[in-house]
Amino acid sequence: MKLARALDGYTGKVLFVDLTKRTSELFPWTDADRKRTLGCKVMAADILLHHIKPGMKAFDEDNWLVVTTGPLTGTGCPNSSRFNISTISPLTGILTSSNCGGDFGLWLKRAGYDAVIFTGRSETPVTVNITPEAVTFDDATPLMGLTTSETQEKLPKKVGKLVIGPAGEHKVLYACVFSGERTAGRGGVGAVFGDKNLKAVTAFGTSMPTVRNREKLRKLNKKWVHILQTHPLTGRQLPKLGTAGLIAPMQAHKILATKNFSEGRFDGFEKISGEELAEHHLVSNAACTTCVIRCARMCKVDDKVVKGPELEVLGLLGANILNDDIEKIIRWNYVLDELGMDTISAAGTLAFAMELKEKGVHDFGVEFGRNDNVEEMFRKIAVREGEGDILADGSRVMSEKFGGKEYAINAKGMELAAYTPRHAVGHGLGYATANRGGCHLNAGYMVVVEGLGLDVDSLTHHGKAALAIMFQNLMEAVSAGGSCMFTSYAVLPGFLIDKPNWFLTKAILAAFPYVGPVVNLLSHFTKAPAINIPLLPESYAIKYATGIKSTMAKMLTWGAYGYNAERIANVILGQKADADKLPSRLTDEPQDPNDPRTKVPLDKMKPVYYRARGWKDGIPKWHRLKSLGIKISKDVYDAAVKEAYR
Amino acid sequence: MAKINVKLFGVFRMDTHIDCIELEAAKLGEIFPLLNEKSLALYEERHASDPKTEKPAPFTFKDAIVYVNGERSAKKGLKLADGDEIWLLSPASGG
Repeated sequence: MKLARALDGYTGKVLFVDLTKRTSELFPWTDADRKRTLGCKVMAADILLHHIKPGMKAFDEDNWLVVTTGPLTGTGCPNSSRFNISTISPLTGILTSSNCGGDFGLWLKRAGYDAVIFTGRSETPVTVNITPEAVTFDDATPLMGLTTSETQEKLPKKVGKLVIGPAGEHKVLYACVFSGERTAGRGGVGAVFGDKNLKAVTAFGTSMPTVRNREKLRKLNKKWVHILQTHPLTGRQLPKLGTAGLIAPMQAHKILATKNFSEGRFDGFEKISGEELAEHHLVSNAACTTCVIRCARMCKVDDKVVKGPELEVLGLLGANILNDDIEKIIRWNYVLDELGMDTISAAGTLAFAMELKEKGVHDFGVEFGRNDNVEEMFRKIAVREGEGDILADGSRVMSEKFGGKEYAINAKGMELAAYTPRHAVGHGLGYATANRGGCHLNAGYMVVVEGLGLDVDSLTHHGKAALAIMFQNLMEAVSAGGSCMFTSYAVLPGFLIDKPNWFLTKAILAAFPYVGPVVNLLSHFTKAPAINIPLLPESYAIKYATGIKSTMAKMLTWGAYGYNAERIANVILGQKADADKLPSRLTDEPQDPNDPRTKVPLDKMKPVYYRARGWKDGIPKWHRLKSLGIKISKDVYDAAVKEAYR
Repeated sequence: MAKINVKLFGVFRMDTHIDCIELEAAKLGEIFPLLNEKSLALYEERHASDPKTEKPAPFTFKDAIVYVNGERSAKKGLKLADGDEIWLLSPASGG
């Protein structure tokens, strides 16, 4: 197979591994494909879009697991060695894309591949080893039952590793995959590994792709590091407090999910805050591969230094279950990592079980404010024992069995992150429209402008659709390049962030709700902003690394391509029209009983969002797909749309 | 003058080493010079034992996200009352 490559930054090869037959071959992927999709999650979306069939399920043998890197991976760019795993999610039934900061992507490229696709199902547990010379299959039976760190310890040193823990082996619907201490957490990719009997993957090699203009890239990287290390968010707040530093601002802004999202403030917030973590529990900072922000927190559990909790864990295993014991949260975070479970979905499901108990629907043995048996429940979930077997399917399946859909806090089946959106309505729109479900990052992370970083009116629906689309597309593209999405926060000018009470800041932010038409114009006339902006170094970096003519406009187009490709793939998989919903607790019940604005006005925002996206009822129109260059058969499209309205 | 309770969060707290402090002030804007004074005194104490310690930059009303008794306040001239609780936060992001 001829796979010519004129672009730099890529190895030019995609590996296709059949686990049933234990064979491997090259998968056709050309420069035209690379220019169209860039890499990581957008590349994976495109590969899966052209593979999936109506009715295909996560645990079907021919569901593909697609592990992709970006062109910036391994180029020396800061915060840019992330990789992505996409597949049909067992949690949501539609595509999931899960991004990871571990070093596996870097090693995969060293082994000579931009991506690897797994299909089939091994008869027995297997470890797949990828090197430039060969792909080999080892018996993984001795690794079965081991935790994620134990599994990695048993594998060779100085190779890239992807592993699952007991939760993946038992196909917990929100099981995740680990690379070092970092995780591809969301959507249950670990369960698909488990279903395929794929316990581990290793990659080893020594070469890296060339870059187009090394000198320019070196100079840019120096500037890029400076931007990140001097920006108020990426240079000060994140290194000093980590994402945990959001607990106090979320409390202040009334968006700290509390008691299964019934409230937005928690009386015990100071005991679970980033400040408490930094002052009394932090051992050291840590970082993902090539990261210069270093927001990860290392803490101690049983005298062992381990990865500490992020904001999501502190919020969802703190305020959201009425627990103010931070030492328990640090421990549970470690336990969940070892078992190989997504902390957000595990915690969200736990809170739902607690509310079912409180409402007298069903007693799972867990309840709000009780923290002595939570660890035991996590262990039961991981091996699907007793009541744990029910919680292992997530809040949506539980609500279908027991009722309580109005307070089963998920979107499209994926549990929401720790930001409750009734005081950040644009963030609520993001949750509802995010392709993979209730994910704050796939949502466009609107809370960064609705109170946390900037103080745009968080209760108005005006302008939110356009801003959500712009941030969704931008973050999609940043992710496609292989960069950490946190780097995109630096696109918000430091002076606006640094001076929240300055008259000029207030004047600029007051205009934000009215920027919709301008943002929409930029989104639709993508040739217009054919420039690069200094606060988005990714677009320069892609140009210098690969030779692709990258601009701000091109970045937004890659983002739009990915967002639309994932969406139409979801429709083909069976997503219904108007599936962009939130639980009625968030859309119908005001968080503050005396303020009717404190609920998410989805009905007002969605039509504007759909119009700006070129969608009807959440389904991309044919001409929109054509304009983005998304090629699928008209017959497939028509059949999927017809089914979506059935 | 009102006796008030001020809590610092985020970068302000990490830089000043002040988590919570009781102050006397009539208006919201008056608390910042008092905080900077206290912060400087604490810095000098730390600096005496550790010369490498970093001097915190002084901050003003326009630098902070301010909450008074749980509600956002953007008025520097806001009159304070005995028992008011003030939160000072720095902008934040994450994921």
